[in-house]
Amino acid sequence: MVCGGMDSDHHINGELAHGFENMVCVRCNDGFSMQDQMVNSSGQVWHSECFVCAQCFEPFPDGIYFEFEGRKYCEHDFHVLYAPCCGKCNEFIVGRVIKAMNASWHPQCFCCEICNRQLADIGFLRNAGRALCRECNEQEKAAGHGRYVCHKCHAMIDDGQHIKFRGDSFHPYHFKCKRCNNELTTASREVNGELYCLRCHDTMGIPICGACHRPIEERVVAALGKHWHVEHFVCSVCEKPFLGHRHYERRGLPYCEQHYHKLFGNLCFKCGEPCCGEVFQALGKTWCVKCFSCSFCDKKLDQKTKFYEFDMKPTCKRCYDRFPTELKKRISESLKDRDVENQRRSMSPAPK
Amino acid sequence: MLDEQTDLVVGVGEFGNTETDVRCGKAKSIAPIFKEKMPKTEKRKEESTEIEHVDRNISTFSQISHLIDAENITRLTLSHNKLTAVPPNIADLINLHTLNLWNNSIEELPPSISSLPKLRILNLGMNRLSILPRGFGSFPALEVLDLTYNNISERSLPGNFFFIQTLRALYLGDNDFEMLPGDVENLINLQILVLRENDLLTLPKELGKLSRLNELHIQGNRLTMLPTEIGYLELIGQKKTLRLEHNPWIPDIQEQFDLGGGAAVWGYIRSEKYKYLASRQEPSSTPVPPKRNKDKKISRKGIQQA
Repeated sequence: MVCGGMDSDHHINGELAHGFENMVCVRCNDGFSMQDQMVNSSGQVWHSECFVCAQCFEPFPDGIYFEFEGRKYCEHDFHVLYAPCCGKCNEFIVGRVIKAMNASWHPQCFCCEICNRQLADIGFLRNAGRALCRECNEQEKAAGHGRYVCHKCHAMIDDGQHIKFRGDSFHPYHFKCKRCNNELTTASREVNGELYCLRCHDTMGIPICGACHRPIEERVVAALGKHWHVEHFVCSVCEKPFLGHRHYERRGLPYCEQHYHKLFGNLCFKCGEPCCGEVFQALGKTWCVKCFSCSFCDKKLDQKTKFYEFDMKPTCKRCYDRFPTELKKRISESLKDRDVENQRRSMSPAPK
Repeated sequence: MLDEQTDLVVGVGEFGNTETDVRCGKAKSIAPIFKEKMPKTEKRKEESTEIEHVDRNISTFSQISHLIDAENITRLTLSHNKLTAVPPNIADLINLHTLNLWNNSIEELPPSISSLPKLRILNLGMNRLSILPRGFGSFPALEVLDLTYNNISERSLPGNFFFIQTLRALYLGDNDFEMLPGDVENLINLQILVLRENDLLTLPKELGKLSRLNELHIQGNRLTMLPTEIGYLELIGQKKTLRLEHNPWIPDIQEQFDLGGGAAVWGYIRSEKYKYLASRQEPSSTPVPPKRNKDKKISRKGIQQA
């Protein structure tokens, strides 16, 4: 392929040339008269009207032509006929063409399909119909096998033979134990950003989970005098992890709020819902602040209101005063009796 | 009387913490603004889901029916009035969760009352009920039933009375029970049972199956012995109530009671000695103690006049 332009030195007016009678136009094979304009290019001559694109028969714009197999084309037709199209952007490629993956590419269009780096100069690897850079290919291959690529030597790590350090995977033999300086194996542990062999790790006072009895190497929950894996510290009833939510303790066992109240009865006596936040506790019962009221007239009571006890229910003064006289008499008699009994019992030794 | 009041309050125990004060303070400061802006009638409309007419001399429901928005009312408190009956259309109050009719003169209830779908608290205490309507036990959501101080006995109860599975607390004090039906075992969620000052001669052994019970009031009856099964109930300890006084107990039980109250009695009835004694005891071997005179009960007055 020759790509050239008309040299103005060879563009001669008939009058100035000499010996042109013997010359013939390369295209039409006719001679030249004095009036004819003549084009000379690389030792050949044309009538100026014959010096046109072999495809569109139009003069070459700016005199620039592209030659292929002895025929000359304008830039446009040459591209249409012969220039490769980029596999990515579908535009003609002028200049450097990258032939790869059964297609042609602008150098800037041929990139790693994962990290988008240009591959023209660094080479590429074919991976499942994709062109990838070396690093991405290694990672893809490793992921495909469930294997890791060492962040240090970039080689693939055999199955299960990697260690994790600061979020990346490595061959363990690139590191030494911070404490005993022995080369690490896969049984090494990261503690506060440093790597230790398992032996050294286990002598460093690592907490043991109260549920699974294994060392805890991530977040530790301290509760009930023990340490727990976050996911192992669960409600004794529903076995859901608390995950930082409040837990309730009873006889050494943890419970979620719902099951604690369900089992141990801190439900509001009136509304029957678990009491949260502030509560009234009296007469062996619990009330939400908003629910605490006289059992007989529903008058709201607060912590300053005096109330009577009747069948272990709160009774406001008005309702108590309105009890029938005979009932009040019985109540005060039984209260007196209770006092006498309590006094007698406190004086005599307790049974057993 | 005031001495008594202080005594009782001392026995009452802990209250909420200091944060409660803050909350109460806020509520107080808001209330007056509301009162000034709204005339009384409008305020009543605003709060119409809860109606409270205590001690207003109301003798029939028709006196307050214009205030009731049947579909929205959630609480109706008519304590200390003069109602003698409850109309059948009480069942229209489909969102009612609390019905408090303490201290009226109600002698009869409509069967429809037990169809109230959301009723959780029903206080019928201090009335003149001597019979409960058929199907009374079909409440779908009832948790607290107070029938204190009426004229109810085991003969007043409809067949399904003890099938209110949602019931947490049953108050039957100051009534006329001579025996408690064994059906009580069906109240599987019962935590509180008050049978104070009835005429009970025995308790059913099925009471021992109410494993969630933490309050049992059986003082002031005619009980001489307890079924051994009842000893399985955990009624001794904090937040538990066991009241046994004023019963003609056999000497062994009375002796334990005098020594160490309910805890001692419970220890005793769990003993092999008592189990042996109870297994040999003939029901009729002890003389039947007399009933208490209840002529002065105000719940009797209506009946005497009638």
